[in-house]
This record gives sequence, structure tokens and C-alpha cells, in this order.
Amino acid sequence: MAQVSKTTNRNGEPIEMLLNMGPQHPSTHGVFRMVLWVDGEKIVDVEPHIGYLHRGSEKLCEGEQYNQVITLFDRMDYIANFNNEQIYCRAVEKLMGLEVSERSEYIRVILCELNRIASHMLFIATMGLDAGAMTPSMFCFRGRERIQGLFEAVSGARMMHNYFRFGGLKEDVPDDFVPQVRELLELVKADTDESDKLLSFNEIFLARLKGIAVMTAEDAIDYGLTGPCLRASGVDYDVRKAAPYSVYDRLDFDVPIGLDGDCWDRYYLRVQEIYQSIRIVEQALDQLPEGSVESSLGRRLLRPPAGEVYVRAENPRGEIGVYLISDGSDKPYRVKVRPPSFCNLSALKHMLKDCWIADCVVILGALDIVLGEVDR
Amino acid sequence: MFNSLKGLVVTLVSTMHGLRAPVTRQYPSTGNLLKRHDEPTPVKDRFMGFPALTWDETVGEPYCTSCMVCIRGCPTQCMSAVMKDNPLFIEEKSTRRKIVDTFEINLNRCILCGICVEVCNFDAIVMTHEHEMSTYNRNGDRVDLSALLEIGQKHQKATDWIPPTKRVKAVTGGDTGTGPAAAEAESK
Amino acid sequence: MPATILLTIALSDFIWIVVGLLVMFTTLSIVVLSLTWLERKVLGRLQLRLGPTRTGPMGLMQPVADALKLILKEDIIPASSDKAIFWAAPIIVVVSAFMIWVTIPGTQSAVIQNLNMGLFYIIAFSVVGILGLVLAGWGSANKYGTLGGLRAAAQLISYEIPIIMVAVSVAMLAQSLDLREIVSAQDEYIFLLVQPLGLVLFFIAGLAEVGRTPFDIYFAESEIVGGPFVEYSGAHWSVFFLAEYINTFAVAALTVILFFGGWSGPGLSGNWEIIWFLFKVYMVIMVIFWIRGTFPRLRIDQLMAFAWKVMVPMSFLSVVMTAVYQFYEWPAWSLTAMSSTALLVVGYLIYKRMTGSTRLVAQVRSRQEALQAQRKAAANAPAGGD
Repeated sequence: MAQVSKTTNRNGEPIEMLLNMGPQHPSTHGVFRMVLWVDGEKIVDVEPHIGYLHRGSEKLCEGEQYNQVITLFDRMDYIANFNNEQIYCRAVEKLMGLEVSERSEYIRVILCELNRIASHMLFIATMGLDAGAMTPSMFCFRGRERIQGLFEAVSGARMMHNYFRFGGLKEDVPDDFVPQVRELLELVKADTDESDKLLSFNEIFLARLKGIAVMTAEDAIDYGLTGPCLRASGVDYDVRKAAPYSVYDRLDFDVPIGLDGDCWDRYYLRVQEIYQSIRIVEQALDQLPEGSVESSLGRRLLRPPAGEVYVRAENPRGEIGVYLISDGSDKPYRVKVRPPSFCNLSALKHMLKDCWIADCVVILGALDIVLGEVDR
Repeated sequence: MFNSLKGLVVTLVSTMHGLRAPVTRQYPSTGNLLKRHDEPTPVKDRFMGFPALTWDETVGEPYCTSCMVCIRGCPTQCMSAVMKDNPLFIEEKSTRRKIVDTFEINLNRCILCGICVEVCNFDAIVMTHEHEMSTYNRNGDRVDLSALLEIGQKHQKATDWIPPTKRVKAVTGGDTGTGPAAAEAESK
Repeated sequence: MPATILLTIALSDFIWIVVGLLVMFTTLSIVVLSLTWLERKVLGRLQLRLGPTRTGPMGLMQPVADALKLILKEDIIPASSDKAIFWAAPIIVVVSAFMIWVTIPGTQSAVIQNLNMGLFYIIAFSVVGILGLVLAGWGSANKYGTLGGLRAAAQLISYEIPIIMVAVSVAMLAQSLDLREIVSAQDEYIFLLVQPLGLVLFFIAGLAEVGRTPFDIYFAESEIVGGPFVEYSGAHWSVFFLAEYINTFAVAALTVILFFGGWSGPGLSGNWEIIWFLFKVYMVIMVIFWIRGTFPRLRIDQLMAFAWKVMVPMSFLSVVMTAVYQFYEWPAWSLTAMSSTALLVVGYLIYKRMTGSTRLVAQVRSRQEALQAQRKAAANAPAGGD
């Protein structure tokens, strides 16, 4: 058995302790479980266990009509619902060759970027909690709450929106949408500033995060990291720039990158991404055209032509890909998701090498996994 | 240590804010044990709470004809309905040939997606603002026709509900009637 | 006849002590209740929340409700635990916490049993509590508990040394180990003014000693989920909780007695001076809560490094400075100057070592600028769609 080798430490002395962290542990971000072989406080080896939140989403997709699948995508990465809806809608649109109206594209981008901000705020909050600071979480939740209030006003739900439709949106945004978002952005900026000032450069926080779990650019690419975790290692790769979709090519924004590839870079990069997302939303609001958001499909039962597509997009957690096969019926033949959380999680074993038990919480936090997406 | 001191200043300032105006609100009612003010949780206009059936005031019957469109469209199969001949149609008081006999929604299974409202051709189902419906037993949230109509009527009264198809008629002035085009135009 | 008189005297002493202990127990319990309420309220407002509001006006009855709940709760004892140790651990912790208070004076006369070795006694007893934590961790037969217990042992023993050394330097200034005399020695100027370094060291080590943030390593909720207390529930757990808050109160009280002139203050005399004492103690406790609301938690190796590389040398330095000052009979301001210089130098060195945060910001900015320049130089053509 492979486990036999783990029962001795470097000096060949037996390791007495096998620590089971999760699935009911406060900082495994859901129901993730790690079996840690520890030598005192040092981690010798780790075996991650996933699947506690497995709902069979991909299989369920095969039994639902195309428009019903949107609700399942809402629940995959339940922190970034709009982004997930968008990627699925884009997949079906590509399959059918549907045109999406300008206005709905812009509204989609605005909502997705706001959702990215909300997701990163949740990340900062949990990062603070993992490191032991309580207050940033409250500051960030305040900002996230404001964004969710806007989502409620737009889509009728705070998290599981079911708002995007193939080729359009469910309904147009409320009349006061633009001023409301502008006001919201100011508040969100202030909230981010506040928690940034409180946490980012705090000496203790730096001591906990700087130089922990360093990933070189080569390692990061080898493990298939995407999103902020990859960019923290200094790789300038963002799907929004590399293969612009929707209207991202008309918007001017920077892709922040990290230098060291440690946990602090992964944290601070997300803080900077919040400011970039604010920039994107501001521009999109300026450019927001008038027009219809109606889908040209009507309400008839959707039967896309047989075929297969793969689309990818930049989610808050990294690159998400959806592979969709249609056999011409009213239900997808197969839906496969490339979830960023799951792929990022594969680097965990590498990152946890020779770190402390306390670090392992921080490292997992900096990966920013969502178990709904890992297990699907 | 200077950044930590800066952090201390940040929290001090936020304490001042917190003393003046905390951002949380009390739930479900404000006040304390001695003095309570019950007030409903504010929700946005478009808020999608539990679905309920609407009541046609002009005729005095539900809008729902049990056509099963919503039941087929529901991603979680949380609804069921039975149809019957409409006695009011025989008396020529109503234009609905068929009418709902029984209707049940298992609100525990409902995921509040709003697809049923979208597909309904008869304005018969709405997403109400009702969301505080926890019960102690597992099947306590199986809601039958009378309860659904009660919730729906409450919602109709509270929001001055106009049937979406009527709304379209009012705008276009023509009798587009029911159907997909009308429901689509619902969202102005 | 003399025997009866002696017996009467002995009995009256005994009764006095019993009454004193009872009064102490009730007072401290009330203090703990007030502290839990205060902590939740202060932290709530700090985080823009309301804190408890429902039970009683302003949630004042919340601690009572909590206490009642904890007592009525089922006390779960793990089957695999070492029952005797599991039972003994909370008792050791709470008894040592109470024993400290036997000799802490509230005013010149409000003390159960003043000892002329008071400071020594307190330090000696504060170490006993560690034993209870280690036993709790071990006895509950839980790996998180064991880790927590061992962390507690390492942490508390390390931070005991700076506490002792700072206490020694204060005792040298006051020429006494008697807490009442230490307070009266501060009639002219409080020791904060001559030993700011000592105060900072004592306060930090005190935080570590009672396991408050940023030194709550041994029960770190996000890592080892409560450490030694992880298997305790109900009344057993509440005993630990009680001890923790009594210790926090004791550290605040000692800080006040050693550095802020104890109960001395204008406007009050006699036993009314206890108001000043309580005021100062609660102010110190507010600072502890404030720190809890601000800082993240250190890691165990960083904590130990901080203790042995910063705290211990600095505390020795403070003793040496005090000794030099006393031996050569320099003016008081010279000690102030030495002490505050040392404090600032250490603070700056830590700042430099841990962050050079300005450097970090500059790094981040230059990284951004380089990337943008690179992009502009490339002026890349727009890439295709999916």
C-alpha cells in the first residue's frame, strides 16, 4: 500500500499522527476533506477527498430541457452564478448560431463583473477568517450584500438568478439600473478600500501569507491552474484578453499579475481585480446601448441542431469550459464542465509540501475553491 | 508594526460608524423582548418568492386551467394538478372551458426559478414575495389549491397585480390575446 | 480558656476567608458575565453589527441565558477519553484562575489575603493553568485537542519568561513584590511613564498568556477548531470559558496595577477608589477587544520565534535598564528615554523585517506598470472569439 511509506518521516522515524481535516471543519470551505499525515505540526503528506457535495449536476443536465439546465448551472459555482449562466448560454447560442443583442451582452458583462466583485469579496472575507481576522469578513459581506441587493432588484433572486436566456435576457433591467449601479460602485470601492487598508499589509497577515505555497510559473502551468492562482505566479493569461468573448474586446482593463506566486500574491491579486472589475463596469455602463433584450427564440421548446461545442470564459475562480453535445432533441446529450476550482485543487498536494498545519488552512483559502463546483 | 497600527485606526473608525449606524437589521422584528415591532422583511419588486396561483376577480374563479405547461416546464417536478370541467362555463359566466380542480406545489422542492411563471399562458401563476414559510415537518410545505390561491390573492392585493396579458393590451391597444408573443412583451 | 479563645479566633479567620472566597466567586462570575456581554457588543459595533439585542434591554440578559443554556446542556464525555483527566482538567484551570484573584487588591484594603510576595504568587499560579490545558487536550483523546494542548504548553511557557522579567523590573522600581506597595510606589508617577517598553512587553505577553487574538493559537477555531476544548461541552466547557475570562480580567488588572497606578485617581478616597480601578481595568479590556477585532492570528512557529527572538531579549533589556537606572540613581526621565528608544527601535525593526510594506506596494505598482508597458509595446492585434 502506498500509505505505508507515509507512516515514517524523513529520518525514518514512525509518524504517529494522521489528522483528518474535514468534511466538518470550519475552514475547508464547504465539505472538503483532507487526510493529513503530520509530523508534529509539520505536514508530511496529504490526501484530499472530494465528492461530499456531488449532486451529479452534469448527469442531471442530460435529463433537463435546455432552458431548465440554466438553473443547474446557477448551482454549480454558487458564488458566481451569473458567470456560470453566461457560459452555458453562450454554449447553446454558439450551438444554434444565435445572435445576442448588444444591450443584453452589455448587461450580461455588467452583471458578471459585479458577480466577480462579489465573489472576490467573499474570498477576502474567508481569507481573513482563515488567517484569524474577523472584521474584514464583515466589511466584505457588507459590500457583497449591496451587490446582491442589486441582483435581487434585477433578477428577482439574490443568488440563484435564472436570468440569462439564450440570445437575450429574461426581462430588461429596471429603469433606475444605471444610476443604481453607479452608486453601488462607489460604495463597493469604499468597502474594498476599507478591508484592503485593514488587512492587506498587516504585518501578521503578511507573515502568515508571504512566501507560503510558492508556485513557479512552470509548476502553475503544469498543474493546470487558471485564473488568479495562475496569474499570481506571473503568467499573463486571462481568457477575457486571450480569447475575448462577449464585449470584452471593447472594454479597457488591465490584468493584474503576481510576482512571487505565493499566497499573498493570490490574495492581493484578487483585491486588484476588484478594482479592474469596477473599471469594466463603469465603461460598460457608459457604452450601454438602448434596444431590446428579447430572445428571438420565443417560448417554443428548444431543439438545437445536432452538434457539439466547447466554449470557455473567465470565471472569478479561473477558466471555465463547457462542452456541450446535442443530438437534436430537446435535452442536451452530454454536458461536461471544466470547473476551475476542481483543476486548481489538483495543485493542493504540491502546495502543502512541508508546510504547517496552520498554513494548510490558508493555502486552501487562497485557492478559493467552491465545493459545489469541485464536486458538481 | 505601523501597518497594524493603521489597522487599529480603521477598526476604531468603523466602531464609530457601528455605534451610529450598524448595517445589520433585526430579523424578524425589531426591538427587544419587552418591546417588539413586527415589520415585514423588505424585498425588491421583482423578488421571486414561492409561486402561488392567482384569482380572477371579475369572474370569481382561478385563472389556472390546469393546462400542465408549468408542470412540464418545472425543473424539479414540484407541482401537480388535476383538471375538471368548469361549472361556470356551463352557466356561461366564464370563458374558461376547463378549470383547476386540485393543484399542489411542494415548496420544499421548489427552487424559485420562475420558469412556471414564464411559460404560463393564462397569467395563472405568480412568484409572490412570500418566503418565510418554514415548517417543522418534512411535508409541511406541500401547499394545496386553497392555500395557493390565498397566498396569490394576498400578493395580488399587495402589489396591485395586473395580468401580464392585460398589461400588454393596455399598451398596444389591440387584442393580442394570450400566447407567447404577449407574455414576451410582458417585460416592457 | 485560652484554647477556646484561640479556637474562636481561628474560626473567625476561617469564616472570614470562606466569606471572602464566596464574595470573590460571585464578583468574578458577575464580571465574567459582563465581559462576555461587553465583548459581543463591542465586537458587534466594531464590525457594524448590533450584537445581542433580544434578551433583555440591549441584550443584557444574554450572558445569563448563555450560562443557563450551558448548564442545562447535555455534558458529552467521549467514550475513548481518559475520564479522570477529562474531569480534572477544567477544575485545575478554573481553580488556578480563581487562586490568582486571592491576592489581587481592588483598593488598599479590598483584598482577601494580601501577600508580601504577591507578584511572585500570581506568576507561580498562572503557570498551573497550563497543566490543565495540556491535560484537557490529552484527556479528551482527540488529535485536535492534543495539538492544542501541546501548542498551549509551548506558547504559555515561552511567554511566561517575558512576564516574569517585566514583573521583576517593576518590582525593582517599586522595591517590593507586594502589589499594594507597588501601587503606592506609583504615587509620584505611574510606571507607564518610566517603562513604556515594560508595558508593551507585559501586555503582549499577557495577551499570549490568556490566548487572546493575535495569540489565540492554542484554540484557533479555523485551524484546530477549539484545541483543548474541542471535546468539551455544557458545564465543562463553560468552566473553561469562565477561567479564560477571569484570566483576561486578571491580566488587565495586573497591567493596571503594575503600570497605570492601580486604584489611584483623583476625586475618590477609601474603598470608593475601586471605581477608578475598575474603570482602568475595563479600559484595558476594551483595548484587548479592539485588538481582537483587528488582527489576524500568528502561526505557531512565528509565535515562538517572536517570544524567543524579540520578547525575551527585550524583557531582559528592560531589567538591565532598570537595574542600571537604579544603581547609578539617574533621573527618572533617563529610564523613560532608554525604554521608549528601545521600544521604537524594535518596532521599526519588526516593521522593516516583516513587510517593508512600502517596498511591497512599490513592487506591486512597478509590476503593474511593467505589464502595461509590455502590452502597449506589443500592441497586439485582437484575438479571435472562442
